Amino acid sequence: MSKLLEVRDLTKTFPGQVALRAFDVELGAGRTHALVGQNGSGKSTFIKILAGYHQPDPGAWAELAGRSLTLGDGKAASDAGIRFVHQDLGLVDSLSAAENIAMGVGYPTGRLGRIDWRTNTARANDGLNALGFHDINVKLPVGMLAPSQRTAVALARSMFDWEANAHLLVLDEPTASLPGADVERLFTAIRLMKERGVAILYVSHHIDEVFQIADDVTILRDGQRVATKSTAELDHEGLIELMIGHRLERTLNTSRAQVGVAGGLRVSGLAGGPIKDFDLEVQPGEVVGVAGITGSGREVLAQLITGQKPSEAGNVFVHGRAVKNYAPSDSIDAGMAFVPADRATQGVIPLASVTHNMTLANVRRHWRGGRLRHKEELAECIDLIQQLSVKTASPSLPIGALSGGNQQKVLFGRSLRLQPKVLVLDEPTSGIDVAAKEQILQLIDRAAQQGAAVLVVSTDTEELVRVSHRIIIMAGGSIIDEVSGADMTTANVERAQLLTTKAAMK
Amino acid sequence: MTSSAAEVQANPKDSAPRAHWASKLGFDRFSGLYLIAVFFIFFGLTENNYLSWNGSLEFVLTEKVIVCMLALAFLVPLITGTFDLSIGANMALCLVIVNKMALETDLPDGLGAVVGMAACLLIGAINGFIVVKLRVNSFIATLGMSQVIAAVIRKIHNGGQITKAFGTNYINFGKKAIFTFHWPGTNSEISLPYYFLYGLIVALLIWYVLEHTPVGRHMFATGGNPEAARLSGVKIDRIAWGSLIASAAIAGFAGLVYSWKFGTYSNSVGPPLLFTAVGAAFFGASQLKGRPNVWGTLIAVYVLAFGIKGIGLRYPRQIDWMQPMFEGLTLIFAVALASRQGVVKVARRRSDRRDTPPTMAPSTLPVDDVAGSTPSTTPEPTGV
Repeated sequence: MSKLLEVRDLTKTFPGQVALRAFDVELGAGRTHALVGQNGSGKSTFIKILAGYHQPDPGAWAELAGRSLTLGDGKAASDAGIRFVHQDLGLVDSLSAAENIAMGVGYPTGRLGRIDWRTNTARANDGLNALGFHDINVKLPVGMLAPSQRTAVALARSMFDWEANAHLLVLDEPTASLPGADVERLFTAIRLMKERGVAILYVSHHIDEVFQIADDVTILRDGQRVATKSTAELDHEGLIELMIGHRLERTLNTSRAQVGVAGGLRVSGLAGGPIKDFDLEVQPGEVVGVAGITGSGREVLAQLITGQKPSEAGNVFVHGRAVKNYAPSDSIDAGMAFVPADRATQGVIPLASVTHNMTLANVRRHWRGGRLRHKEELAECIDLIQQLSVKTASPSLPIGALSGGNQQKVLFGRSLRLQPKVLVLDEPTSGIDVAAKEQILQLIDRAAQQGAAVLVVSTDTEELVRVSHRIIIMAGGSIIDEVSGADMTTANVERAQLLTTKAAMK
Repeated sequence: MTSSAAEVQANPKDSAPRAHWASKLGFDRFSGLYLIAVFFIFFGLTENNYLSWNGSLEFVLTEKVIVCMLALAFLVPLITGTFDLSIGANMALCLVIVNKMALETDLPDGLGAVVGMAACLLIGAINGFIVVKLRVNSFIATLGMSQVIAAVIRKIHNGGQITKAFGTNYINFGKKAIFTFHWPGTNSEISLPYYFLYGLIVALLIWYVLEHTPVGRHMFATGGNPEAARLSGVKIDRIAWGSLIASAAIAGFAGLVYSWKFGTYSNSVGPPLLFTAVGAAFFGASQLKGRPNVWGTLIAVYVLAFGIKGIGLRYPRQIDWMQPMFEGLTLIFAVALASRQGVVKVARRRSDRRDTPPTMAPSTLPVDDVAGSTPSTTPEPTGV
C-alpha cells in the first residue's frame, strides 16, 4: 500500500494523566483504517490533535503524502487535505442542506457580493450526488431530513471538492445514531471515496462495522497502541480481547423465572407519530426487544409508552392499572422507570453531582423530619456506585466529568433504584464502550430476574438478540414480525427488519 | 465485572487530586470574601469613616438588605433556568401600594403591606402563566411585565414622592432596634433594626428550601437540564411557575423593607436596583459552591456595596460615574469567572423537542441587555 499519513511518537499529557503515549500510526491511501478502543483509550484525543483542537507534547512527528505535517494546527491539517465528520455532525437544523454545505465552504457569489442561490443549490446537489446520495432535497431544512441524509449532508460538506483536494477523511462514530440499513448507504459512500484514493480513518464502537468496512485496525488501550492488524487476521472475540485486555464474560442468565405471573406492561391501541394501533404485553421477568429501521415507529415507541411524548390514543397499563399517559411523572408514579435514548440532552444534569443525578427521580426517599438526609443519600449512592461499577473519583463529582458509559450506568442506577415494575430502555448502550455495554446488559438481565417487565428498544441487533427473550420487529408503525427461541439470531432479525420494511411499503 | 468502585469509598471527598495553589487558598470560590478584606484594609487605612459603625458600616449593612432581597428574588428563578426581570418593578408596586393605602385610607398600615404582597403574588402568578402556559421566553415575558407594572404604578400614583404616610407602629415593626450596644470609650452606638432580622429569616428560608428539600433539588435539576429533569419525573412547569411566584413575593418583601427603612415612596425606586441584583446573583454563583447559591449572592451584594462605599469616600466627586462603572465591570468579570468554571452556562444545548418549554432561556446571554433595559443604572442615594 502507498503510505499517506504517518505519525510517530505522539504523546499528549493532560494535567494528571497521559492521554496518549508514544503513539505511532500509518494510514494507506485508498484504505479504511479503523481506530478502536474503549472510552478513555485515547481515540478522541488523537482525533482532536489531528483536528488541531489539542496541541501534542513536543517530540511528535508526522508526515502526510511525503510532506511534513504540523500536528495540533487546524489550518495546516485542513490545507493538507484532512477532513472531519464528527459524531454530532455540526449541522444547523433550521438551515437547508444547501446552506449547511455553504456554511463550510462559503457561498458562491454574483455581482456586488449577492449570493448566487441557484449555483449554491446546484453545487450542493452535485456534492451529494458525487457521494452516491441522490434522494436528498437540498432546499429542505436539515432538521426535517432522516438521520442517514443528515450524515450525508455533513459528509458532503466536509468532503466538498474532495476529488481534487481531500486526502484523508476522519469519521468519528458516524453510525452512532444510524439504524442498520442506513449504515449501508454510508458504507457505499465510503467505498466510493476509497476507490478514488481517499484514506478513511474510522472511529467506532461497533465491532461489526469495523469488520464490514475497515481494511486495517489499530487498537488503543489506556493511551497506548496495542496492535495494528489487518481485519482479515482478526475475529470479533480477538478484537474485543485486544481492546479490553481480557476475555469478556459473555454469560447472560436469560431465565424467564417469573413469566406467567400476572402484571407487567400492557399497551393497547397506542397511537402517536408514525405508530398506529399498537398492542403489546410484556410479562414480569420478561425482556422484550424492539427492532425496526428508522421510520418504522421504533424510534418513538419508548417515548410514547413512557409519556415522554403525548400519545394520540391508546392505553398503557402497569400491573393492570392504567397510566394517565401524559407526562413522565405519571408513568414513574405508576411504577415505570426508563432510560431515555439521548444521554446528553435527556438524561444527565451535567453540572450536578453523580449523587444528585442518581437520586433525582426519587429524592423524597431521604426526606425525613423536614430535611434531606444528605449523609444517608450519599451512602445509598456509594452503594449503587459499587453495585453498578461506576468509575468515578468521587460521588460528588459533576456527572459531566464521567465517560459516557459511566454516565449511562448512573442513569441506570437512577431508574433501578425505583425498583420499577416496568423498565423501558431506549438505546441503552449507544455510544458506550464494550466493557460498559457488557455491564449494562448484565444490569438489564438482573432487573428482569428481579421481576421487572423490561422493554428494550435498540438499533443494535446483536445486543437485542443477547438480552431479549423475544424480539418484535416494527415496520410502518406496527408490529410486523416476532422472533424468539432458536430463530432469534442477529441475521434473522436484520433480515426481518428489511423484509418487513419492503412488505410495509407495498 | 470490574470492582472499579473500590476507590470511591476510600476517598469520597478527594475529587481534585492536584489542586492549583490558587484554588487551595480559595481565590476562586472565596474571591468575594478576599475582596471585602482588601476593601477593609485599603479603605480602612485611607478613609477615617470607612470602618466606623456610624460612618458607613451600619448604613451599608442595613440599606443593602433591600438589594439582598432583590438579588435573592432574581436568584430563585435563575436556579430553575428562568429569568425574572420584573422584580424591580414588583418591588416598586408593593411599595407604592403600602404608601398609597397608608396615605389615603384609615386602614392599618399593616393591611396595606398585606395588599401589596398580594398584588406581587398575583403578578408572579401571571408571570408564571405567561411563561408556562403561553410559552413565552421568561426573559421577554418578565421584561414586558415590568413595563406593565410600571403602567399600573403610574395609574395608582401620579408621580411625585409620598412621605410620612406611615404611623409609628408600622415603622417600629420594621425599624426598631433588635439590640443596642455602646462601644466603650466612644460614642458609637451599635444596633441593628428588625428588618435586618426579617431579611435574614427570608434568606435562611430560601437556603433551606434550595439545599435541604426535594423541591430545591428539583429546582436545580430543572435549571441544569430541563428535559432530563422532566423525564425523571420532575414537574418542571410547576417548578418554573412556583419560582416566579416566589421571586415576585421576595421582591415585594424588598419593597416592604424599603418602606420600613426610608418610609417614603418615589418613582425612582425599584427598577434601577435590578442591575445590582442581577449582578450579585451571577457574581454569587462563582462564590462558595460553584453554582448559584444564597450566601454567595449575599456576599456578592456586600462586596459591591463595600467597594462602592469606599470609592465614594475616597473620590466623593467621582462616585457618580464610578459606581455604574464599578458595578458593570464587576458583573462582567464575575460572569467571565463563573463561565470559566462552568458554573454558569453560556449557551444552552439546542433541544429540538417541541414540548420543551421555552422557559429555559439561554443563560448569561441576556445580561448585557439588562443594562439597556433599565432606565438608569444609578441607584438611589447610597448615602455617600
